[in-house]
Amino acid sequence: MSNLETILSRDSYILAVEIRLFWLVALIYGVCLILYLIHLATKKTGPGRMGTNMLWLGVITHAGLILLRTFEGQRAPFQTLYESLSWFAWSTSIAYLYVERRWEDIYLPGILVTALSMGACLYALLTRSPAVEPLSPPLQSYWFEWHVALAFLSYAVFVVSCSIEIVYLTIKPSVKKGLRPEYGLNTNNLETFHRQSFRLALFGFPLLTFGIFSGAAWANEAWGRYWGWDPKETWSLITWTVFAIYLHSMSIPRWKGIPASTFNILGFICMLMTFIGVNWLARLLGIPSLHLYAM
Amino acid sequence: MIILTKIKSINWQGIRENKLYKRFASLKTSCIFLGILIGFYIIGAIFPQDAVLDDYIKSGGGFTSFVIFFDLLNVFNTPGFLIAASLLSINLTICAFEIFLILRSQSKTVSEGLQFTPQFTFPLDINTQLEDAGEIVKEIFKKEMGFTEKTFTCQEINIMEKGWSYRWLTWGYHLAILFCLFGFFMTYIFAFEDEITLYPGEAATIKPAATNRWNKSWGNKPQELDFKLILDEFITEYNQFPKLDYPADKLSRLAIAMGWKDPKYLLKEESYAPKDWKSRLKIIKGNQVVLEKTIEVNDPLSYQGITFYQAAYKQILKVQIDDNPISFETETDHELIIPGIDGMLKFGAIRTGTLFKKDGGTEKIKTFTEAALIRKDKSGKTEIEKLGKLEHDGSLYIDDKRISIREFKEASVLSYRYDPGVPILWWSGVTLLIAMALRVFGAWYRIIYRLEEKDGMPHLLLKIKTRGIMADEERLIKRLKHSLEKWAEPIDLDEPV
Repeated sequence: MSNLETILSRDSYILAVEIRLFWLVALIYGVCLILYLIHLATKKTGPGRMGTNMLWLGVITHAGLILLRTFEGQRAPFQTLYESLSWFAWSTSIAYLYVERRWEDIYLPGILVTALSMGACLYALLTRSPAVEPLSPPLQSYWFEWHVALAFLSYAVFVVSCSIEIVYLTIKPSVKKGLRPEYGLNTNNLETFHRQSFRLALFGFPLLTFGIFSGAAWANEAWGRYWGWDPKETWSLITWTVFAIYLHSMSIPRWKGIPASTFNILGFICMLMTFIGVNWLARLLGIPSLHLYAM
Repeated sequence: MIILTKIKSINWQGIRENKLYKRFASLKTSCIFLGILIGFYIIGAIFPQDAVLDDYIKSGGGFTSFVIFFDLLNVFNTPGFLIAASLLSINLTICAFEIFLILRSQSKTVSEGLQFTPQFTFPLDINTQLEDAGEIVKEIFKKEMGFTEKTFTCQEINIMEKGWSYRWLTWGYHLAILFCLFGFFMTYIFAFEDEITLYPGEAATIKPAATNRWNKSWGNKPQELDFKLILDEFITEYNQFPKLDYPADKLSRLAIAMGWKDPKYLLKEESYAPKDWKSRLKIIKGNQVVLEKTIEVNDPLSYQGITFYQAAYKQILKVQIDDNPISFETETDHELIIPGIDGMLKFGAIRTGTLFKKDGGTEKIKTFTEAALIRKDKSGKTEIEKLGKLEHDGSLYIDDKRISIREFKEASVLSYRYDPGVPILWWSGVTLLIAMALRVFGAWYRIIYRLEEKDGMPHLLLKIKTRGIMADEERLIKRLKHSLEKWAEPIDLDEPV
């Protein structure tokens, strides 16, 4: 067997292990989702707690998987959409676990988080090619790691922020009636819980700003123009603007309630459009995009 | 002087009290303008910008009359968008100015609500008079905890702060956004760009075909630049990229997940993934070489405010049929009609240069291209027949005709751009990020406190305000308790109670 054949057979073996591990991670996220849904249906804390413990297992396994991919590609593991989806699922789950550690018996936001994480994993596994591709010339830049990693960190916190917002809006009427605490939330902790949503959006906003700024600086170096109104660029600006409105609306007394919450959820939808929707929309409408390598 | 006198005579206070001005100084107005801009952005993300109308219609684009009437393929240059962006800039300027006036008036004396409602009460086991206790508390806050005293109108209440003022930081990054908008404006008015194609050894003068908006509006024509550009060498590098044998259908992928099948990398149909394109450039002024640099994607060359970027490459082939001395010239990825051959020939990108192999070795690529024959059947349907690899000294047979490459040429396509908005944007962008990061991730504290005597013992009544993710009220209280304990007098056990 030649040296090249040995390398290829080793790479094929690592890829096989990696794909199976990825399926396992998707399965764990799926189990977590089911446990959180049982918690929703039964109002018992046991399944919720179990879901969180399972999610820790999923996140640790996923971290190993991402390390393996980094070793395979000898570069940051978020070049293709297959890799980005995996990174998105992991960063969202870990951001949720980090925020959740301070709560006592509140597990409902985990439903959206695990649904998205599982969905992202399945989308990658069922529709994208797992091949480890070499970095194309435009991606060979020091901006690559920073731009993607921080933009995805902002996406992760926006997901958690939105999941808190949705839980707050759903649970608020029954808790405000003051009948009894629901899903670990009562009149005493409801507003503190909701405040986390704002703090997370506030935390993610500078990261998204850096993501856009670094993207523009990178585009200026690679393509000779910092802004080309490419659909991906435009959607990232839409997301930024919606979150800017959300953060400002929290300072306007009359907008502080439902309107502000709506902007937070809209920001999350725009974030999803920037990440996935724009590729789909670009293909649907036949709009050329400079970011097509990420499709 | 006259202008200055006129400016001084303007009733600024009157303007600031004007209804329209007040509306522009409002946060709600900012949100409304941002909302309007989102509408433009969405249109710009749906309709392909800078596209030619004919191409848009050909590719099946709808709502043609709307697209033409509202200029939707060029929405970011329409008066509507420019007016909305200008109004937002005015709003931001007025807000920044108003906030500045407020902050300046508060730089020494802080404004705090007249009502002081303490959050925390600490009995001070210091065993001194109230005034002395006040001095000790002040010392703890200032020396041990790093707070700075602020002047406040009410004598009984003390106010201290620690950390970068979040209000100034907020003002700072809003001002930076304003400078960013100025940078965009400079780009919009003064930037221009064009492309130049250079063959190795060729020197070219640079005369942009396009000019900036400013010159266009004054009827000025583009000027030839006072230097020449020479391409010394154009280098192409490729990575060996094995094909992955992996199914597209979902069930087969599940079979791989279950371990019934394995994915496999194959070298049979390997592709050459571009690793790098490099152009060795020289800038000549007069007869002297003033600058030399090898540029690549992400590493451009800048000279006299103009930046040259590695944009693409152009490949030209001369194709020979049998031993015919007359050859046919064609560009790669273009269709070529050759008399006597049914259909059109198409040659893919020429692979030449260095190949970086999977095993870490390198090799010089034996120049080749992939040839294909495109035929249309009676129903007008296009059929593409892959003819295979055509090497530089090899040949292919189609309809008994021998096809070979007689010569090939590779040119470097450089884009160049002049943009005075970039430095403004760069510095204002960095300022924006630093100020925003300090405001959001940093820690700012304001303590408002008063001393009161209760049951013969001085008590500290305290209220804390925090801003920033790193601000930790609990930690501050812990530190304060610890410091107060240090100052507490030890109990003398020999003294009778």
